[in-house]
Amino acid sequence: MIYDIRHLTTYSYEAPVGFARCTMRLIPTSSPGQKVLWSRLSITPAPSERRERVSFFGHVVVTVTIETPHSELSVEAHSRVDVDREGQMGLFLGRGWEDIRAEAFASNALSAASPAHYLYPSRLVSLDPAITAYAERSFTQGRPLLEAADDLTGRIKAEFAYDTKATAVSTPLKEAFEHRRGVCQDFAHIMIAGLRGLGLPAAYVSGYLRTVPPPGQKRLEGADATHAWVAVWAGSDLGWIGFDPTNNMRALNDHIDLATGRDYADISPVDGVILGAGDQDLDVKVDVVPVGAAGA
Amino acid sequence: MPADATHRVPPLSDDRGDAAERRFLDWIEGYRPLPGIPDELFGPDGQPRPYWRRFLETLAAVPAEESERRFAAANRHIRDAGVTYRVYGEENDRSWPLGRIPLLIDEREWRGIAEGIAQRASLLEAILADVYGHGYLVADGALPAAAVTGSEDFLPEAHGIDPPGGRHLRIYAADIGRGPDGGWWVLADRTQAASGAGYALENRLVSSRAFPNLYNEMNVERLAPFFGAFRTGLTEAARRSDPRICLLTPGPFSQTYFEQAYLARYLGFLLVEGDDLIIHEGRLHVRTVAGLKRVDALWRRVDADFIDPLEFNSASRLGVPGLMQALRNGEVVVANMPGAGFVEGRALMGFLPALSQRLFGEDLKLPNIATWWCGQPRERAFVLDRLDDLAIAGAFDRSVPGLGSPAPVPGRSLTGAAREALVAAIERRPIDFVGQEVVRLSTMPVWEDGRLEPRPFVLRVYAAATADGWTVMPGGFCRVSSSPDARALSMGEGVQSADVWVLADKPVEITTLLPRSDAVKTRRIVGVLPSRAADNLFWLGRYLERAEATLRLVRCLCSSLIEADPAIHGTSPALERLERLLVAWGAVAPEQLGNPGAVATAALHGEANYGSAVALVRSARRTAARVRERLGSDAWRALTALAELLADDPHGLLTEAEAFDRADRALQWLGTLSGLAQENMNRVAGWPFIDIGRRIERGVVTCRFARQFAADDATVDDLDVLLDLVDSQITYRSRYIAGFALAPVRDMVALDPFNPRSVAFQVLRLRDHLAALPSLRADGLLEAPSRLGIALAAEMTTLEAEQLDVGRILAIEQRLLQLSEAIGSRYFLHGPGIARPEKLTGLA
Repeated sequence: MIYDIRHLTTYSYEAPVGFARCTMRLIPTSSPGQKVLWSRLSITPAPSERRERVSFFGHVVVTVTIETPHSELSVEAHSRVDVDREGQMGLFLGRGWEDIRAEAFASNALSAASPAHYLYPSRLVSLDPAITAYAERSFTQGRPLLEAADDLTGRIKAEFAYDTKATAVSTPLKEAFEHRRGVCQDFAHIMIAGLRGLGLPAAYVSGYLRTVPPPGQKRLEGADATHAWVAVWAGSDLGWIGFDPTNNMRALNDHIDLATGRDYADISPVDGVILGAGDQDLDVKVDVVPVGAAGA
Repeated sequence: MPADATHRVPPLSDDRGDAAERRFLDWIEGYRPLPGIPDELFGPDGQPRPYWRRFLETLAAVPAEESERRFAAANRHIRDAGVTYRVYGEENDRSWPLGRIPLLIDEREWRGIAEGIAQRASLLEAILADVYGHGYLVADGALPAAAVTGSEDFLPEAHGIDPPGGRHLRIYAADIGRGPDGGWWVLADRTQAASGAGYALENRLVSSRAFPNLYNEMNVERLAPFFGAFRTGLTEAARRSDPRICLLTPGPFSQTYFEQAYLARYLGFLLVEGDDLIIHEGRLHVRTVAGLKRVDALWRRVDADFIDPLEFNSASRLGVPGLMQALRNGEVVVANMPGAGFVEGRALMGFLPALSQRLFGEDLKLPNIATWWCGQPRERAFVLDRLDDLAIAGAFDRSVPGLGSPAPVPGRSLTGAAREALVAAIERRPIDFVGQEVVRLSTMPVWEDGRLEPRPFVLRVYAAATADGWTVMPGGFCRVSSSPDARALSMGEGVQSADVWVLADKPVEITTLLPRSDAVKTRRIVGVLPSRAADNLFWLGRYLERAEATLRLVRCLCSSLIEADPAIHGTSPALERLERLLVAWGAVAPEQLGNPGAVATAALHGEANYGSAVALVRSARRTAARVRERLGSDAWRALTALAELLADDPHGLLTEAEAFDRADRALQWLGTLSGLAQENMNRVAGWPFIDIGRRIERGVVTCRFARQFAADDATVDDLDVLLDLVDSQITYRSRYIAGFALAPVRDMVALDPFNPRSVAFQVLRLRDHLAALPSLRADGLLEAPSRLGIALAAEMTTLEAEQLDVGRILAIEQRLLQLSEAIGSRYFLHGPGIARPEKLTGLA
């Protein structure tokens, strides 16, 4: 499936901003199961300096310096991505989770894909005995990892309320867990905390969902903004498999990866410092449209 | 008598000799090493070690009373010089305890320690280079990936960066202790931002001052060459021949801020905070009053996580946005490289003996305590099996479930449910735990009420990288527990420090940090002044001057009361004006009016009144603390004495005479301070900003005095008070025999360019200061502050007293405030500060 993705981010400032230095992680990269055909990022006002590099975790980081005074900063990312994860469908459920855990502990890789990076608490994902205990109910002794992860994904979907008012980016995950409500970021962080609490490697994936569902299917939650889900390491043979607890599904051909990290803090789409006073408003628009014959 | 008898100090006289012998024997006989634990004073043979005997005999030759006095003087120096560490969240600094007895180590034993430390620093450097580079150690299975990634200080983003200057580590520290076998053991490694080297230096200053003869006789190795080596190492790593080196501090709220300020001054580095630095065109710069200046090397005392909000903790205000990119570009040397901290992890310790063999083909010369990382199945089984014999600790520097403390917990001490919980936690996430050998630290003597007592200690030693390898500081920072219990030997309650003397066989060569004279070019403009430092100096000047104004008002009020006719006590309009001014100032609350004694007491000591002398001096001291490295220790002492004088709560109301006396003494201290600033501060290095602050404030205050006491309806009493306030009585009386008249008084207070307290005098000084400051304009035009200053000076010079009325004086006052604003926005950091977007993204 080929997608045309537009992602428009606009900051409006109450008082003009004289200086901004930002990092943007808005350009998707090719990875197993997806191929980026082309992409571009336009920024207004024009930056005085712009630098692009690939982060350790494999995503593109654009760093810009803007020295023109401005009251509005707009960033438009536009890309075309071919997603094909047929190979991941109908996987054999594989080995028991304890087996995979032992393999992760013994990993001798330090590359971005190594499970070793995703075993420990990270900036936004602390380990919490209550969350670990919650996850443990899906991970009975000897159960195949993928089956247990599917079960946990389903329980989060069933037991947590999707509520855009309940949390903000800064809400601690403990709070979202206790109130059993939140958005995709909270669900992903909670699931990651539960898996890591059991000693299993879990990563945070940001990306997109197709906006308009195929005929006859329900529109997915999170389709008009950036989305987030979880990648679970299923051993060196199967690698990383995506689970979307917000929609109770595997991340397959409806999901387009933007960036992967230990949690949201590693890959927040726009980060930076500005010189200015006063309030600001943020507006985000995302359109994900299939291209060609399969298109809507 | 052992072989060292020749070193004995000859007795001064029989009496004193006998007394000395008695003291020595009392100390030795009263000293009881703890059973089963090695001791520094007593060797394994149960006898005092020769060098300790020599030390104590020499010490005993000093009569008890003199010894007491010398210790007291040394301690006073510690307090006065502000050798303090801040307990986080406390308003005031706290005196830092230095024990009287140094730790003695003889040269032969020290050589072994130094070799071990240098080897270990090289080993850690090699591990860092591999893990952030090719990654062979992990790929080959010599080091499990999860033993690396568990540390919060392992920074994936630092992967692939070639450290500019070629090293990850430039300064390394290790905590060591003497183990039960008599050998030295490494307990912990410090590679992130090791503190304590400055304390070691200060401790040395104090102990050598307390006992100069003893110090020289014992052939104590000097510390200065070590610091010289560290500086040389950084200088050589930078690309320019005369590099600018900054010490990046988290700021005055840091526990070790004093140490950082002290080291910056000692090493000649610029002390900066994150806001002082900026990446401009890919390179690191410091914001100074002369614009942006390139920074070649940075000694960071800020943890890596806070060092660059664009790549790490995005909420950090302590770092420099874009620093990591500058490192990738190879533009700045950073000591130590961000990411170097992960080798501090306990998990790594278990692998070091094998890694040393693999990388160097050598055994560790200085072993570390045996450590087993539970992330490996065999080691985990071993630890669980021997839980009673081992201590359990977090594998990395974070708290873990099942353990109450971050320090190692003896497995034996855990029973019942606690033990089961720990075992379950280890089985669930074994990667979070290590088992370690239980260490019983050796003891050294400390002084307690005239006796010596054995106390456990930890010694922190330091190594600095130079082009020729590692230089190890001969000495270190020794922390001694104040109880026989060795636990919690962190810098918390009940811990003191000791100087560390490495004793050479021969007299040591005396060196200081002075380089050879031909290596230094003569230069009269030294360095640059960071904008933040200029800002603080400016406010220091303003606070001091404002405090002076409050004190003058109090003194004037009290002297008027003392001299006043009791019949009109408190009813004179001039007195009422004085009291009103104190209220308008914020020195006295309106409800405190009425009783003159209460007014004076409140204005001096009212902590809750922001304009009281005590509050203003406290603000001045807080501001001064942020530029402590730029103030001489005399100035700091004077400021401390002033603060203590005003903080001395009178408990009740002062009489007029008492209040007068206190205000007068405080004014003397202020006079001392301005004398010190005037005479001792290098004119290029910031003094102008203190003086600019003082001149602005004095100009404004004098305008306010004049508006109150030289209005059109001013009485003779009013004019008398005014001349008192501005210290111009004598000049006036000698100039005008006829008595007080409005226009001459106004002239003297506002316009007389020869009266150092007149408004005009301040304005002319300001104009001159501004003309001498660096300009950022390439077109040769005036900068805004100078433009305002010159215009005001011209007006004040041409104005005549007859034209001057209250409205005119108010206009001058307002223009001074405008000038202050203009100085602020030109020379200091920008007003609104750096804000961050709060909502960063829209998430579904």
